[in-house]
Amino acid sequence: MAGEARGLSLRQFKAILHKDIVMELRTKEMITSMGLYALLTMVIYQVALSQSGTAFDPRNIAAGLLWLAFVFTSMLGLNRSLVHEKDQGCLEALLLSPVDRPVIFFAKAIGNLIFLLIVQALTIPVFAFLFLQQGSYAGEWWMIPLALLAGAVGISGVGTLLATMSVNTKGKDFVLAVLFVPLMYPLLLAAVSATSAAVLGGDGSVQQFWTGMGMMAGFDAIMLLASFALYEFIVGA
Amino acid sequence: MNRNILVLSMLVLGGVLTTVGFIMAFFFTPPVLGPAVTNEAGRILGYQPLFSQKIFYFHVPVALSSFLVFFFTAFYGVRFLMTKEKQYDTRAKVATEVTLMFVILTMATGVLWTRFEWGRWWVWEPRLTTYFIMTLLVIAYFVLRNSIEDEERRATYAAVFGIIAFIDAPISFAITRIIPSSVHPVVLRSGGGLTGSQLAAFLIGLFGMLMIAYAIFNTRMREELVHDRLEAVKAALEG
Repeated sequence: MAGEARGLSLRQFKAILHKDIVMELRTKEMITSMGLYALLTMVIYQVALSQSGTAFDPRNIAAGLLWLAFVFTSMLGLNRSLVHEKDQGCLEALLLSPVDRPVIFFAKAIGNLIFLLIVQALTIPVFAFLFLQQGSYAGEWWMIPLALLAGAVGISGVGTLLATMSVNTKGKDFVLAVLFVPLMYPLLLAAVSATSAAVLGGDGSVQQFWTGMGMMAGFDAIMLLASFALYEFIVGA
Repeated sequence: MNRNILVLSMLVLGGVLTTVGFIMAFFFTPPVLGPAVTNEAGRILGYQPLFSQKIFYFHVPVALSSFLVFFFTAFYGVRFLMTKEKQYDTRAKVATEVTLMFVILTMATGVLWTRFEWGRWWVWEPRLTTYFIMTLLVIAYFVLRNSIEDEERRATYAAVFGIIAFIDAPISFAITRIIPSSVHPVVLRSGGGLTGSQLAAFLIGLFGMLMIAYAIFNTRMREELVHDRLEAVKAALEG
């Protein structure tokens, strides 16, 4: 009986995730808007750094710039992903169907995670191409992907909870930003620290990287657990 | 009626205690000694008293009170989610209002101290940063509340956000401490513990502040209840 229920939950999970991916493959709306937004952020960076002189090495702030782009693109994506659900009445239909609330949370969060990871994978080479041509990359090759993954897990997990709240408010994307940025602050600080250690290298960078990773893992574990436990109340209200 | 007397006496007692603590901090506690003053030969003549440390007797009780009251935001949030009773939502809201007041006081006194000790109004130092984040979280709580019309939904969302924010605040505190910032060093003065009179002034200030917090919370709660009753009477008259 328990195994049967688990199989059913897995099927439901796959169905919701499948729906999101098929919709994305047909419209390509999320990836296009998030990717374009990230690209536009790069243009803003060029303007911001245009007066910094030739002696300035963008590598020193590369990690911060990257995560800045990810924060804004992920807020855009999270908002979109839940606005779709609400506007087309899909969330209500999901709630009417006998699907466990945690399954909805995980399916939406994993969907958001996948889109965010794709956008990250697209943004990194563009960023490196535009800003990091003369510098070298100091860390091991797997360090940056690992840091990006740890950050993206926290962003999409807590972000899914917050976006589900914010689409039901008057302020929508503005409310999402107000809730999202201060809550994500510790994660972003650790993410920038780890990413920066990977890019710059130097004494103690390996230790700094793993400290940042540990902090992110702790944040992810605690906050995901809290979001998971509280999601039921949000979709029920 | 009994409760009103309790609240009133807490308010008066809190006012008296914080004033006594304040006076004690200035007149009865020995100053904390700072860097050594030496003559040309390098001999230590004495230690410079740190007058700015006096803000400790006000700043720390206020900061501790803000954390304690913020705990009640999360606590009443949990209670609301368990029972769905409106009174717990009101309690959580009032607790967050009191938190906002204490957080702003903490920020103001902290910034004054930073200006005096480090010569700058703002330094991205772990405690200041955490406090800044906490201020934003408390403000976000009210932004969220104000952008939802439906009463039950507003209460549920606010409860969830209050709980998440309360979990986030200590994580933020820990992470800002552990992640090294390459720009500003963390300045920590090695504390030699408090002497008897210092501890007394601090504790009197702290208990006074907690009593004031309790009194403000309950006074605001009563206002809310009266307001609710007024609304009910109005509705009854119109209907």
